[in-house]
Amino acid sequence: MLAASAAAVPVLLATAGCRSSDAFAGPDPLAGRPTLAPDVVALQAVIAAEQTMITLYQSAVASHLALSTTGPSAGPTSGPTTGPSTGRAGVLEELLAQHRQHLGQLQARLVLPAGSPSPQASSSTSPGAAPRRVTIARLRAAENASATDLVRRLVSMPPALAQLFASIAASDATHVVALGG
Amino acid sequence: MTRVMAASAPASGPGSGSGPVSGPGSGSGPVSGSGAISAVQALQAALAAEDAAIFGYGVTGAHLSGNRKSAAEQDWTGHNEARDTLTAMISALGATPGAGQAFYRLPFQVNDAASAAKLAAYLEEGVTRAYLGIVAVNDQRLRTFGALAMRSSAERAAFWRGTTEAFPGLSPT
Repeated sequence: MLAASAAAVPVLLATAGCRSSDAFAGPDPLAGRPTLAPDVVALQAVIAAEQTMITLYQSAVASHLALSTTGPSAGPTSGPTTGPSTGRAGVLEELLAQHRQHLGQLQARLVLPAGSPSPQASSSTSPGAAPRRVTIARLRAAENASATDLVRRLVSMPPALAQLFASIAASDATHVVALGG
Repeated sequence: MTRVMAASAPASGPGSGSGPVSGPGSGSGPVSGSGAISAVQALQAALAAEDAAIFGYGVTGAHLSGNRKSAAEQDWTGHNEARDTLTAMISALGATPGAGQAFYRLPFQVNDAASAAKLAAYLEEGVTRAYLGIVAVNDQRLRTFGALAMRSSAERAAFWRGTTEAFPGLSPT
């Protein structure tokens, strides 16, 4: 019955002197993108910030690895380290690995409604080009800023997501110490 | 009554000072889904963790010397201050703060500097989990309080453990 009705539509339109496109020229309530909830928007922003952090660390690791092969080692940091690796490059690699874990957990919690812009599309552009040389001071500042931003954002998040933000903020704070801050 | 410093002990109820209680590491802890937990319950869990940490640092300090002993003493003082703060907050909410215990059974034997540092890290990890529970309450100021407190305890845990971790207070699977 439904198929028969659908098949009859072009015939009816032709009878009325209309093209099929004319029938759909009005407002289309089905074409709009859904408005994202504030917590989803916040989560997207935190994911983008984590991606930027990873880009910073990747640059820092690359430059410190280059230094370690061409010059004297910077030596271990004075604060807590992150694992068995020694030297600053090793510390940076471990911190980078932890940031990748952060990103994985954050992305796992992002559920977008159908029709929303792809997070992959936005994530590929948001971090921007990697800076050539990233100093330890810059990493410390980025970690501090991230911890502060996460604590600011978590107050309006659902409880479980607020706890993830708080945990990542605490991790970032320990990174500051590991970086000698 | 002896409390056991175990991560899997059941949490105490709101305002309760008796019954099966927990040391650091239990409390409200991580939540799943979107349900918020009671502010009093979360604060009581944090208070219980602080009480246990105060006891534990007494043991830790006895096996340390020099700068690390000083660090333990500083942390012990900080936990005492945190206990007083939590006690006041619970009272302000109209509940009776849970009483600390005179003795807690240790999670493992502490007989040298290495095991003392391990205990300090264990205590801080438990305190971190307890404050994480406060982050799940509906009150925004309490959430911020919990997040900042667990930031401090995570830093202390990293100091005593000697390493950082990706998710202080949480165990993502």
